[in-house]
Amino acid sequence: MTGHIFAQQAVNGLVLGSVYGLIAVGYTMVYGIIGMINFAHGEIYMIAAYLTAIFLAGLTLLGLQSPPLAILLVLAATIACTALYGWSVERIAYRPLRHANRLAPLISAIGISLILQNYVRLSQGARTQGIPSILDGGFHLFASGPDAFVRLTHAQLLIVVTAIISMFLLHFFIARTAMGRACRAVQQDRVMASLLGVNTDRVIAIVFVLGAGMAAVAGVLVTLNYGSFDFFIGFVAGIKAFTAAVLGGIGSLPGAMLGGVVLGLAESFFSGFVNTDYKDVFAFSLLVLVLIFKPSGLLGVPEVEKV
Amino acid sequence: MSEAKETLLTGLVALLLFAPLTGVSLEGYGLNSHWQNPFLLAGMAMIGRLLLGRLRGLRLPAGLAEYDWQTRLQRPILAVVVIAALIFPWLVGKYWLNVATLALIYVLLALGLNIVVGLAGLLDLGFVAFYAVGAYFYALGFKYLDLSFWIALPGGALLAGVCGMLLGFPVLRMHGDYLAIVTLGFGEIVRLVLNNWIDFTNGPNGVRAPFPSFFGLDFSRHPMPGKSSFHQFFNLPYSSIHKEIFLFFLLFIVVCGMVYFVRRLRRMPLGRAWEALREDEIACRALGINHVTVKLSAFGIGAMTGGIGGAFFAASQGFVNPTSFTFMESAHILAIVVLGGMGSTAGVIGAAVILTVLPEALRDFAEYRGLLFGCAMVMMMIWRPRGLLRSRRALFRREQRAC
Amino acid sequence: MKKWLAYACTLLALALAARLEAGTIKIGVAGPLSGAQAAFGEQFWRGAEQAARDINAAGGIHGDTLELVKGDDACEPKQAVAVANRLVDHEHVTAVLGHFCSSSTIPAFEVYAEGGILSITPASTNPMVTERGLPTAMRTCGRDDQQGVVGAEFTVKHLKAQRVAVLHDKDTYGQGLADAMKAHLATLGRKEVLYEGLTRGEKDFNALVTKLRSVQADAVYFGGLHSEAGPLVRQMREQGLNAPLISGDGIVSETFLTSAGGPKYVEGVFMTFGADPRKIPTGKAVVEKFRQAGYEPEGYTLYSYATMQSIAAALTATKSRDGVKLANWLKANPVETVMGTKRWNAKGDLQTSDYVMYRWTKEGKYEEVADKP
Repeated sequence: MTGHIFAQQAVNGLVLGSVYGLIAVGYTMVYGIIGMINFAHGEIYMIAAYLTAIFLAGLTLLGLQSPPLAILLVLAATIACTALYGWSVERIAYRPLRHANRLAPLISAIGISLILQNYVRLSQGARTQGIPSILDGGFHLFASGPDAFVRLTHAQLLIVVTAIISMFLLHFFIARTAMGRACRAVQQDRVMASLLGVNTDRVIAIVFVLGAGMAAVAGVLVTLNYGSFDFFIGFVAGIKAFTAAVLGGIGSLPGAMLGGVVLGLAESFFSGFVNTDYKDVFAFSLLVLVLIFKPSGLLGVPEVEKV
Repeated sequence: MSEAKETLLTGLVALLLFAPLTGVSLEGYGLNSHWQNPFLLAGMAMIGRLLLGRLRGLRLPAGLAEYDWQTRLQRPILAVVVIAALIFPWLVGKYWLNVATLALIYVLLALGLNIVVGLAGLLDLGFVAFYAVGAYFYALGFKYLDLSFWIALPGGALLAGVCGMLLGFPVLRMHGDYLAIVTLGFGEIVRLVLNNWIDFTNGPNGVRAPFPSFFGLDFSRHPMPGKSSFHQFFNLPYSSIHKEIFLFFLLFIVVCGMVYFVRRLRRMPLGRAWEALREDEIACRALGINHVTVKLSAFGIGAMTGGIGGAFFAASQGFVNPTSFTFMESAHILAIVVLGGMGSTAGVIGAAVILTVLPEALRDFAEYRGLLFGCAMVMMMIWRPRGLLRSRRALFRREQRAC
Repeated sequence: MKKWLAYACTLLALALAARLEAGTIKIGVAGPLSGAQAAFGEQFWRGAEQAARDINAAGGIHGDTLELVKGDDACEPKQAVAVANRLVDHEHVTAVLGHFCSSSTIPAFEVYAEGGILSITPASTNPMVTERGLPTAMRTCGRDDQQGVVGAEFTVKHLKAQRVAVLHDKDTYGQGLADAMKAHLATLGRKEVLYEGLTRGEKDFNALVTKLRSVQADAVYFGGLHSEAGPLVRQMREQGLNAPLISGDGIVSETFLTSAGGPKYVEGVFMTFGADPRKIPTGKAVVEKFRQAGYEPEGYTLYSYATMQSIAAALTATKSRDGVKLANWLKANPVETVMGTKRWNAKGDLQTSDYVMYRWTKEGKYEEVADKP
């Protein structure tokens, strides 16, 4: 096996993993703060993909030609609109269930996921949609022959860089701002935090908004990179990202990113060197094995059982 | 905030939400405009918000909510259900009979999952895996070993049960959501293997499953030479509805048996241990209940029921393929259990029937089926999180009354 | 109880009445009207609707008008069986036009055969559709084995490819196509360098593309549909793999262009498809009618139109509603359709296949490849 193929698979895995990581952040934050699996998170990402295409088409209609400006505007608009979706979902379907039993929010989330999927199917049609490629070109790295090179496209580079930047921004927000401190407080003890004057409902809403925002970033980047999507992509991406979140240790932010990259690399190498058919079987087996031998994930803190 | 102000705010947010996705639709790389849609939807959201504010104070009359009709009317309801089931197949066409059979399969599956989720409190998101094991055992058993339905039914149930226990063994160390995730992963693995192992399972093309025979008599129009078929034996004109009626009654008997079985189980020490473990695991272990065997038995019996349901599904559909065993199917069964009220047998049966028959009856709204289904799940969780019928704990009511 | 019984009896009587109602003949149109392949379902429906309208305007079937009933299978075998049962036992259709995906058509056709209902698919190319000896199963398109032959001949003789990779989407249609390709490649003395499946609904095929690079494929055959073919070809080009992509009739849709990210990615993609029905002179008036209504009759639209014409022709000629009789008549008699004269063999397949190779151009359209290099 030649080196450039290996390196190329590593690049593929890293790009895929960054996307998983960005979506996984939404799962892990929500789980960390209210202990529920937000099944509808994948659909939020799907909505972001559609919004990207719609805003881009709108900008083209308005006559905007410069790709960098278009990408920035689309990113801003998509994040804003997707965040609003995240907020509304929390407000409508999860907030009334704050004190219900543990299964209720999960079922409600599955319901929301069905609603969002069908809502997009009905309003946008079921066919595969796409955007014209606006971010072309890339680099030939380590070129040592006509066929021996590692290809990194501009879109792929953008994905990795944006993922790193947004992780740092998020980390800064959680670690250094007053709102971030409130988030951490609510995560540790919701009742105590509210006794100390933290508006827990608001904090939880912010967490949903942040998670949706990260999913929006992923949605925009993926749409720019792959150029095609349909109303069902949320489900597949959601399950994979969720696997990544659990792999890294659910509740831990760096864990989500690490889990994403590990999963992306694992899929890429397995598909490249073993078999594409069983790629997903391998990914899920990895999940099951990690959970059996290290239930708290790679970076998670083991849960202490209290009486 | 005043009501008017909040309603306006709702409208504004709704407008912002709906504008990009319903106001325009993608057409190639261009856009089609439907500018009136978002305003319509936002208007509906505002009206909904107003109505919701009005309704919030309403509650069911206390007498109705408290009336314990489950106990009082149990026998009459049971009698009505049985009589209705006996008459039903003779009155309707093949189509509705098919729907009813499917409903009974879902009842069976929901009863199985109810043991795991409702009684033992173990959240299983991969229940469909056992369903698939039962269905594929029958189809593949017929293909390779020429197994008949009557062997495949217990065989598939047994295999599914063993699979359930095998999965349960490593998984039981973890609890709550981790368990949910591992079972979800397991469900996906089973489906993917069935899909990818093309040499053995025929992959996405699926496998044929024959119809069960009636004491050795099959239901074909033209039986194999040397054998006689049902209509010839009983001197009836051939009709394809015979086999549907037969399957319906067979399934009905199995479901009744299952209901009885679960009912007895709940009163046995094992059933009580399940419910106790669900409520407080640590206390149970401190009292000396072996949590491993208790949980494993719940997993095994639940999986076994799933396997039986699978064999029936294969027989009624005539063929199985992996698309019938997706996560959405697991979610559907879980939704039945939750909507019916976790742990409540009557509720689960009702929910299974409603959730299977309603979508068929609303065929004209097929486009909106997923949307309505999702809305129903969310609204149920908000207004009746305990399900249509609340599960009652098995109390010694009579003794209490005697006091 | 009595009242209930009376109610049920009324329902039964109503159902019977609906069945015997004179003047309309119900035809089921089954296909993926929703789901990822809805573009093809729309082609079906548009073609069938227009055909029924034209037939009815010309006097119908001895005065009876055709009435279409939709059946949505979303390309899922389970739903297809349910839809088939509904069409047969609930809607009491006389004939069925459908389904699209071979994986749906195969189980659904068994239901129609049992119900004795004529079923013709305009698009399912898997051999199993007609190979099982079902008396009522027919099609108005070619077969995968014919498509694979054309694809393999073209790849080896025209493209002069040495290292051919064969991919599929693990579905009945896609895999059937890939297997046919593989089989004919073998008879031409080529062994494929890679044979693998990708998962429907995924968008990231970068790892697979790198694998294609590592086996140094100089031509890639893909058995599958446009929703996966689009991202696949785009990622191939982005990774600098310029080997030609050859596929079957599953990518005959403008949506392929959309999902690939523009004309520059689809340029040089080849596909097998029946000779362009829009160019057949007999269909000119019909094509004009579609275009006037603002719809370009691409892909399977005219196949669907021709299928409806065949059903109508059989109904008119036999004056029967019996599926086996209708099918036998079609198998014995040629039918004049919008796509020229169609003749069937005893299996229910067309006697002549007219698969030719198409090439997507840099304008994002497809055109027939000139016969010889």
